[in-house]
Amino acid sequence: MVLALALGAAPFVAVTPASASGATGSSGVTGMTGTSGSTGSTGMTGTSGSTGATGSAGMTALRSVTMSSTSSPFQTTRFNAGTPYSSIVVKNPKTGAIESYGNSAITYNVPSSSLNALGEALYMSNCASCHGVAANGVPSGGTSGSYPNLVGLGAATIDFWVASGRMPAANPRAVQAERGIPRLNAAQAEAIAAWVNSLHPSYPAIPSVNLASANVSDGQALFALNCAACHTIEGDGDALAANTYAPSLRNIPAYQVVEAIRTGPGNMPRFTGNLSDFQVRDIVAYVTSEIQHPRNNGGLGLGGLGPVAEGFVGLLLGVGLLALVGYWVGERE
Amino acid sequence: MSEHEQRTPVAISGLSVDDPHLQPAARRPELVERVITILFVVGIILCVGFGVAYVQNWAPWTLGATMGGGLSFLGIGLIAWGKYLMPRGPFVEERHSLASSEEERTAFAAAVVERGGAVVKRRKVLGGLLGTGLGVFGVVAAFPLVRSLGPMPKGTLFHTDWAKGTYLVDITGRRVNVSDLAIGSIVTVFPEGMQDTDNGQAVDQTVLIRLSNSDFTTMKGRETWGPQGYVAYSKLCTHLGCPVGLYEQELELLVCPCHQSMFNVLNGAMPTFGPAPRPLPQLPLMVDAMGYLQSQSDFKEPVGPGFWERRS
Amino acid sequence: MSKTKATKSTNPYGKVGDILNELDDRLGVAKGRSLLDKVFPDHWSFMLGEIALYSFIVLLLTGIFLTLYYIPSSSLVTYHGSYLPLVGQKISEAYASSVNLSFAVRGGLLMRQMHHWACDIFVGAIIVHMARVFFTGAFRKPRELNWTIGTTLLVLAIAEGFLGYSLPDDLVSGTGIRIAYSIILSIPVVGTYVAFFLFGGNFPGMTIIPRFFIIHVLIIPLILLGLVGAHLYLLVRQKHTQFPGKGRTENNVVGTPMYPVFMAKTTGFLLVVGGAIALLGAFAQINPIWQFGFYDAARISYAVQPDFYMGFLDGALRIMPAWEFSGFGHTIPLEVTLPSVVFPGIVFTLVYMWPGIERKYTKDNELHNLLDRPSLRPKRTAAGASVFALMAILFIGSSTDVIANFFHMSLNTVLWLMRILTIVVPLITYPVTYRICKEMQGFAGAGKRKTTNVVVRTADGEYVATPAPVYVDDAHHELDALPVPTFVVESDEVAPSVAEDAPTGVRRAER
Repeated sequence: MVLALALGAAPFVAVTPASASGATGSSGVTGMTGTSGSTGSTGMTGTSGSTGATGSAGMTALRSVTMSSTSSPFQTTRFNAGTPYSSIVVKNPKTGAIESYGNSAITYNVPSSSLNALGEALYMSNCASCHGVAANGVPSGGTSGSYPNLVGLGAATIDFWVASGRMPAANPRAVQAERGIPRLNAAQAEAIAAWVNSLHPSYPAIPSVNLASANVSDGQALFALNCAACHTIEGDGDALAANTYAPSLRNIPAYQVVEAIRTGPGNMPRFTGNLSDFQVRDIVAYVTSEIQHPRNNGGLGLGGLGPVAEGFVGLLLGVGLLALVGYWVGERE
Repeated sequence: MSEHEQRTPVAISGLSVDDPHLQPAARRPELVERVITILFVVGIILCVGFGVAYVQNWAPWTLGATMGGGLSFLGIGLIAWGKYLMPRGPFVEERHSLASSEEERTAFAAAVVERGGAVVKRRKVLGGLLGTGLGVFGVVAAFPLVRSLGPMPKGTLFHTDWAKGTYLVDITGRRVNVSDLAIGSIVTVFPEGMQDTDNGQAVDQTVLIRLSNSDFTTMKGRETWGPQGYVAYSKLCTHLGCPVGLYEQELELLVCPCHQSMFNVLNGAMPTFGPAPRPLPQLPLMVDAMGYLQSQSDFKEPVGPGFWERRS
Repeated sequence: MSKTKATKSTNPYGKVGDILNELDDRLGVAKGRSLLDKVFPDHWSFMLGEIALYSFIVLLLTGIFLTLYYIPSSSLVTYHGSYLPLVGQKISEAYASSVNLSFAVRGGLLMRQMHHWACDIFVGAIIVHMARVFFTGAFRKPRELNWTIGTTLLVLAIAEGFLGYSLPDDLVSGTGIRIAYSIILSIPVVGTYVAFFLFGGNFPGMTIIPRFFIIHVLIIPLILLGLVGAHLYLLVRQKHTQFPGKGRTENNVVGTPMYPVFMAKTTGFLLVVGGAIALLGAFAQINPIWQFGFYDAARISYAVQPDFYMGFLDGALRIMPAWEFSGFGHTIPLEVTLPSVVFPGIVFTLVYMWPGIERKYTKDNELHNLLDRPSLRPKRTAAGASVFALMAILFIGSSTDVIANFFHMSLNTVLWLMRILTIVVPLITYPVTYRICKEMQGFAGAGKRKTTNVVVRTADGEYVATPAPVYVDDAHHELDALPVPTFVVESDEVAPSVAEDAPTGVRRAER
């Protein structure tokens, strides 16, 4: 049984997960409150646990929620920022495990444990040769090398790398894995994510975003301030230092945008407590509307390369063509 | 003066109408004329089309296409008319020496030197004073033109709004807490209250990066500047002032998007590549009782690009 | 003009003749007949300056339209227009009015795009025209002043373009203004004063957009109009240069008369230039400011370059190593001042002084009305090609990140490549161009139209090539040049008012 992942198209509201997907075991919603949330979710001690004196104090509040993870790389204590400390938390009534959490903007779904067997099989045949049978970056028959340790990174991380086609790596020696046609489809990616996450459960889980009340204008402002420096204001991406690069955003599904923002893959910084889920939703709305469907009222977009392309067109097409007309007007002697 | 007092040279000549110079260049002028007729008619239709497109509010590209096409067709027709149907020539015109004759040159020099120069020579003092007066006027007239334009350089070139105990806020005005950011996160921060102001954005802008979970020292003497792994650098590139927003977390580099200067965030934003000459100034941070980040003081040096009065 | 009551005109040239007489009574226009007779040599390369002139006219006309809508103010307003990603944001009035012009004003986007394309074509045509003037030696005596005026026009056109695309206050052009501010700041001794005076304080301030506006629509256009007028006046007064050829000497001009042939062709060209710019404005989007968002000093986009005519500055800034002089209590940011202030200063001073330099070097003080074929002056051609190559490499250097992205190379590698190329390419261009010119000199008929050859195989197996007779239609039969006729007469008539002893075609110059 596979959780129906809303790939950014249909809004997925966490309030009624059971009927939508038929996932086993979830008979209702526990711990639901409205948006205030800080005392509604079970196991939450609000912000009192995190007095900010040390980082670890902030973590204790989350420990009971996050399925006994030690410090996840994605720590934050901010409310509605991609961790289970969110408005809506759905737990399995029998086991008490968190199945999804989130709010009206983004819902993070923990992949079902029923996928673990499939995921393990897929992992062993596709990923273990580099990342090791224990998913800790130690390939079998070799020394612990430069392959990343995948344990404790959360389902979203694994799902992003596999579903975007970057993994299994076409060229393991490349400085940066390229987005490409995925070798494993979205369902398989989720299965692998399910198994790897089960080794050491963590967050963020796999997001699905509801763009219904998104504010594209706020999204534009946040995009310009946080994203355009690497991905360009047009969203085309560009080369960065030492053979790394920021990829183009023209072809990425909405949920993968959330995954990338929250997990910070590769050299991309991660945005955890610095952006709330509502802000991330606004950014996703901006990316999926204006970046991926730009308003080119003025004609051909010229590749969005800006003044360089415009200069070539102006010189070659404009001056060049007019010089040719001049060649006709004048004489050759 | 001669009786034919005329200013411009005038040649009068006649040419027979069947002289080959007056014939059209086209071998078949009637055919060319028909083609030009078609060009003109199409041009007129397109120009009318522009009017229609405007009134009917068609898509923007139709306005340009009709106007462009109309003008182009009319223009090509006119060029073809001039090139193929008008007298083909070629015609010649004599150049006359631009220089005047010797007598005229002498007369001119005499007028300038003897009439004018002689006068001034006789009244040297007056001439000198006049020159001085005009010169002085020229200089002081420039004063309001230049000085009134703006204030003297000072102030924000040398210091920012960061001070002891200023809270770090993001663009929405929300204070940043130590438990907010994960390792590898970056956020642009401003002094509290300044996030919407010109000065706040242009001068005070700072990037906050979390490098670890424990206190981080970038260089000697800065042991207290990086509480709980948070380091803050001025976002103004020391090359030309562009915001250095591009952070590569695995390479630990801040890259400036304008001219690709690269700064190493681990050792005080030392420039490792590109044209930037100086490291990004680091903002000393501290944490208050509630966990909110504050600045210990202003930057220890002027932020942004270099200028003459900058001491270091 | 008074209408004659029902009486037929007694003027042999009818009503038109009457009108001309009336004008002559008031203005003495008949003495200007020589203007109608002016002969223009019409080699195609002389059309390049016209491209610049006519795109300037398009700039003026489209610019007037834009000034009726654009608001030159940095005051903040809340956007409530049709472009959703901006709705509710506080943006400057300059940006809001530019977006409004693009979306809400009918024809506004077309005018904006035509204006911007016309500017690119304007500067591009000036550069190409200037190259033609340089490589053919048209700047020599007596035309040095025109060369100076022309170079000034180029500098002003570049400045005008920069000011113009900065007016909408969008993210891309605002970044350019930030860089310009820092460049001014870097000037030793006076930099901070000039920057604070010009901007009314520290960056960004509220005064720079209105100041850019008035410089862009009033001050520089007035200077441009005056200089263009002077440029054209000198051209008419000194007469155009021409290439050497049949019937062409240092003391004449062979070509087409101003009226009607040249006027027809040049007006047609004006229409075509306008049409081409309109077609570009229709189909090729340029400067989509709504996609960039407004300028905010904390925002930045990657892959930002200036318009192409400023590209050489950006490229120079990128490749310059990080040398900064700091001592005696002062800082001179050489990594900024050298590439963006000193280098262009040197280049443009060289350009201004070139006629003098060449005169000194060749010891040639003669008047020159005949042009050089570039291959006949290999040193000048090679020098010009070198400088051109340097500017071209610097322009390419302004897109290091785009190149790295496109070719999947490391940014660091591309930058080092550009640094090396900037030094090596101009050094190689000189000798290569020199050699090419020398080769062309030695090759008879270089640059001329080639004739066909008939290849005959003899019985012995030898191949002989002989020039084939030229096709009738292909032949370029140029007649001997005649003076422009004042009267066109039937063959058996006698031209009126021509004294019998006055030989035709001889000018009577009376002062």
